[in-house]
Amino acid sequence: MAEPVIRVIDLWKDYADDLTNAPALRGSSLEISAGEVVALFGKSGSGKSTLFNLIAGLDHPTKGRIEVEGQDLELLGEKGRTNLRRFRLGFVFQFFNLLPTLTAFENVFLSLELAAKPDAAVARDALKEVGLAGKEHRYPNELSGGEQQRVAIARAIVKRPSIILADEPTGNLDTATGNQILDLLTHRCRESGTTLVMATHASFTCRYADRILRMVDGIVVEETSGEVLAR
Amino acid sequence: MKIVTKSFLRYLPRRLSLSLLQLMGVACGVAAVVGMTMSAITALASFTKAVEFLSGKATHSMQRPAGPTEESALAGLARDPAVVRFSPVIDRRLRLANGDLVRFLGVDPFLDRAIRPEIADAEVRPAKDNAAGALSFLLDDDAVLIDKELARQLQLSSGSLLQTTRGALRVIGTFSNPSGEPLVLMDIAHAQKLFTLNGFVDRVDLILADESGFRGRWEEGFLIQSGRQRSAAFSAMLGAFRLNLEALSLLALFVGVFLIYNTAMFAVLNRRRDTGILRSLGARRYEIIAAFVTEILILGFIGGALGGIIGYFLTRFLTALIGTSITDLYFFLRPEPSAWSNWILFAGVALGCGASMLGGALPLLEIVRTDPAKALSGRVAGRQSGRNAHRTSLAGLLILAVSTVLLILPRTHIYVGFAGVFGFLIGVSLLTGSVLVAIHPGLRWVLGRVGRLPGKVAAGNIRQNLGRTAVAVAAFMVALSMSVGLGSMIGSFRQSLVWWMESQLQGELYIGKIGEADVPESFYEEVKKMPGLGGADPYRNVQVLYRDVPVYVASVDASVVQRFTHFGWLKGGNENWEQVKRGGVVISESFSRRFGIKSGDTMTLHGAHGPAEFRVGGIFYDYTTEHGLLMMDRSTFLRVFGDHTINSLAAFIDPDNPHRLELIQEIKKKAEARGLPVQTQSQLRASILKVFDNTFAVTRSMRALAIVVAFFGIAGALLTLFMERRHDFGIYRALGFSTGQIATMTLLEGLGMGAVSYLLSMGAGTILAVLLINVINLRSFNWTIFFYPELGPYAWTAITALVASLGAAAYPIWKVCRTYPQMQIREE
Ligand SMILES: Nc1ncnc2c1ncn2[C@@H]1O[C@H](COP(=O)(O)OP(=O)(O)OP(=O)(O)O)[C@@H](O)[C@H]1O
Ligand SMILES: [Mg+2]
Repeated sequence: MAEPVIRVIDLWKDYADDLTNAPALRGSSLEISAGEVVALFGKSGSGKSTLFNLIAGLDHPTKGRIEVEGQDLELLGEKGRTNLRRFRLGFVFQFFNLLPTLTAFENVFLSLELAAKPDAAVARDALKEVGLAGKEHRYPNELSGGEQQRVAIARAIVKRPSIILADEPTGNLDTATGNQILDLLTHRCRESGTTLVMATHASFTCRYADRILRMVDGIVVEETSGEVLAR
Repeated sequence: MKIVTKSFLRYLPRRLSLSLLQLMGVACGVAAVVGMTMSAITALASFTKAVEFLSGKATHSMQRPAGPTEESALAGLARDPAVVRFSPVIDRRLRLANGDLVRFLGVDPFLDRAIRPEIADAEVRPAKDNAAGALSFLLDDDAVLIDKELARQLQLSSGSLLQTTRGALRVIGTFSNPSGEPLVLMDIAHAQKLFTLNGFVDRVDLILADESGFRGRWEEGFLIQSGRQRSAAFSAMLGAFRLNLEALSLLALFVGVFLIYNTAMFAVLNRRRDTGILRSLGARRYEIIAAFVTEILILGFIGGALGGIIGYFLTRFLTALIGTSITDLYFFLRPEPSAWSNWILFAGVALGCGASMLGGALPLLEIVRTDPAKALSGRVAGRQSGRNAHRTSLAGLLILAVSTVLLILPRTHIYVGFAGVFGFLIGVSLLTGSVLVAIHPGLRWVLGRVGRLPGKVAAGNIRQNLGRTAVAVAAFMVALSMSVGLGSMIGSFRQSLVWWMESQLQGELYIGKIGEADVPESFYEEVKKMPGLGGADPYRNVQVLYRDVPVYVASVDASVVQRFTHFGWLKGGNENWEQVKRGGVVISESFSRRFGIKSGDTMTLHGAHGPAEFRVGGIFYDYTTEHGLLMMDRSTFLRVFGDHTINSLAAFIDPDNPHRLELIQEIKKKAEARGLPVQTQSQLRASILKVFDNTFAVTRSMRALAIVVAFFGIAGALLTLFMERRHDFGIYRALGFSTGQIATMTLLEGLGMGAVSYLLSMGAGTILAVLLINVINLRSFNWTIFFYPELGPYAWTAITALVASLGAAAYPIWKVCRTYPQMQIREE
């Protein structure tokens, strides 16, 4: 088997300095190979977003090791992690996190600009693909929740990263639109060999995945029973 | 432009009201500094220029150590081989009919030509009916030349009359005067007549070829000063005043920078979440810093330029105030506000940008260092911010400790004292976070009582947004403390002055005016002989040099003063006058501290017949001069200095004298017959208080400025909080809060922060007042001010705090009501 693009070994994350709450992550481990489409399935509060933040280098683990494309995030340093996010990684936030002062188009274009391939046409195409043609010049507060989510997805895919981490990519969409977006997302990734990891608590998302990981109280377990799909 | 930068700059128009407030914040800060510093510099420079102009090309000046100099000395000077040129001068002040005091010079036009050529070049345009032309200056005993600026101001031209308290003078020409000081010029012989100084001049200006030879021949009995010594003596005279201006400039700088700092800090804190997003998209730290710096610099640049312009206009106002103070206290001066220069704009911009960068730097560093995930989670959570607050307080305590050491270190430079005071303010301002945490339950209770649920939510908001509210409270508190501190200091000083007046100014009537109208000796003799009069004190106050620096000597009638006044003595009582009666002196507290001279010590002054020794009989509190005052009996003074001038005569009457009122009337009549100004005790006291109040006009302006700063500080903070929580407001409304309740909440947040700031400032302001009195004043003026606790400054500051908090809350409340009912719930 090829070297995994994402490898997480015994990851712990404890938010509180005092020990009142259980840690958000309690020794999670996982390996994801290049080009895989993986669903991370788990209940609310099980630690999915926490894990994603750590993989993207947005936060520091309490304990454990994360390797992305064979490189230890801790050893990469701040600069290396920034470059990773800038060029290699696309991130779709659960709460979109669009910049309020930029239009839909600019939010997408920003991502291209940071990745050093500014091309307005590419940004426009990406918005068209997520079904937002004609709404390029709206500000985030002039878009519906689902529309904002689609801008966030366009922002992640537009720079053609090698890994996309999507936290609840369809949480705000109706089933039809959700399926459409998932179709697009997985199709794009499979086509270009992009690794896609999606966090979700909706079982229909899992249908698009090659592999399903299950998150329970801060621990990742491989889904083998097909129980999720059966539901 | 990079989109990263664009995303930041779009906030400026988007949150226009906040941007304008921030801009005004920077502008006010810069204006305070530019206005204060520039007017101080201008006033002091014009002082130097006036001194230079007056001494002209003279290398030296010569005069009796005290009082006027006999004309008879001139003959000897004319024959002295070292003297290249000499010119006798009468240098006085003349009060114009409109109340202004102007400098009056009496010179010999031929002798003076070499010293002050500008004056010799006067354009004399005699009236048509007077054929004498330029000669009329010598011939007509009311002929004067005035400088062009004064002529313009009074709309006088050749031939018109200049009305003065000494009669009408005929203007026969004008001359240009680069110093900007109004000047009236008369032939010396006529001047002697005008001031009844027959046979005397005030000094002789000299151009010397051989200084040491000259000194050898003349030093005995005369004070000979080189031009440099003279201007050094003049500057020394202004020393403490200059220091005071410097302190005020520093204060302005502190307040201004503090305001800009806060403004910039808020601007940065506002971008916390955006920074997180950008970082998570892979933006580099420097790209974010560059975007911030652009934003901050735009604010700093425009605000700074605006501040420069406002500051320039402030200068015009402050320069006049400072000029008035210098005139009242030291030296006649009417400084021209400096002309506009692009440097002002440049300085404003530099200051605005510099201080903004300083203010933005720390939070900026903090933000780009925070893990993006944390930054994304929004405002710093309560528990975390509490910990930060305690860490900040620790730093505050450390700074307070250092400041305390600076303040109690004995005999250090006054700047160390300033540093201590500013350190104190900074230290205290760092404690606000912890204070807010500590008093949260109390505040919640109080606000809950006042505003029920919205009140409780308001208290919670203040606690939750500690990162912002602590800074706002700190800034507001510092400004209010300044107001309380300066107010109490001025109030205490004024009370001390009143106490001093009650102790020293016990005469019924005061005849004559120092520097304006002297009292003839014959009048003194006449009054002294009046039956029923308790006593008459012939007061003479003159500047002499002691250890080469200017101090003042006063001569009094010791037995009269002993009987009728009760000076505030550092030690002992009126028996201290016994020493004075025996030929000794008593000295002011400032003299004692300045030269380290104690009661019982012996000191030497240079008199008209060489050095004379005096024994110090006592030390008294005094606020008339920070240079030091020593008092001796008139008999001693006449023996040592031979100066018979009497500046003013105090008439004392026993309070139980049945003919008191008649006596007063009689003296008044006698004085008026001689054209001498008369002041009653209460008039004199009132005029002294007026000078005092004028002197503190500048300080009061700074106090007003501190209040403006306070307003912008709290308004900016509230508006920022409001902007950030518009989203929350929508939620509150969705939860069933009425618009009124949300308005109450906003109002109570403002009032709550205002109240906490005010409570803190009561303590900090009182300490500040004590520091100003016991460290700054004592060290720069060498006098003790007694601390009189007064309600005034506290009440006044409370009103200010209330109005500022209400004003600051007004706009957000208006916004709340206006956007009803469609409040933003959606993520902005
Ligand atoms: N900043 C934080 N500080 C403290 N605890 C946190 C923080 N963020 C998350 N947690 C806790 O960590 C646990 C995992 O949170 P996480 O956001 O990773 O869950 P999730 O699986 O993404 O849930 P959801 O499906 O609801 O998004 C939760 O119990 C949460 O309360
Ligand atoms: Mg989540």
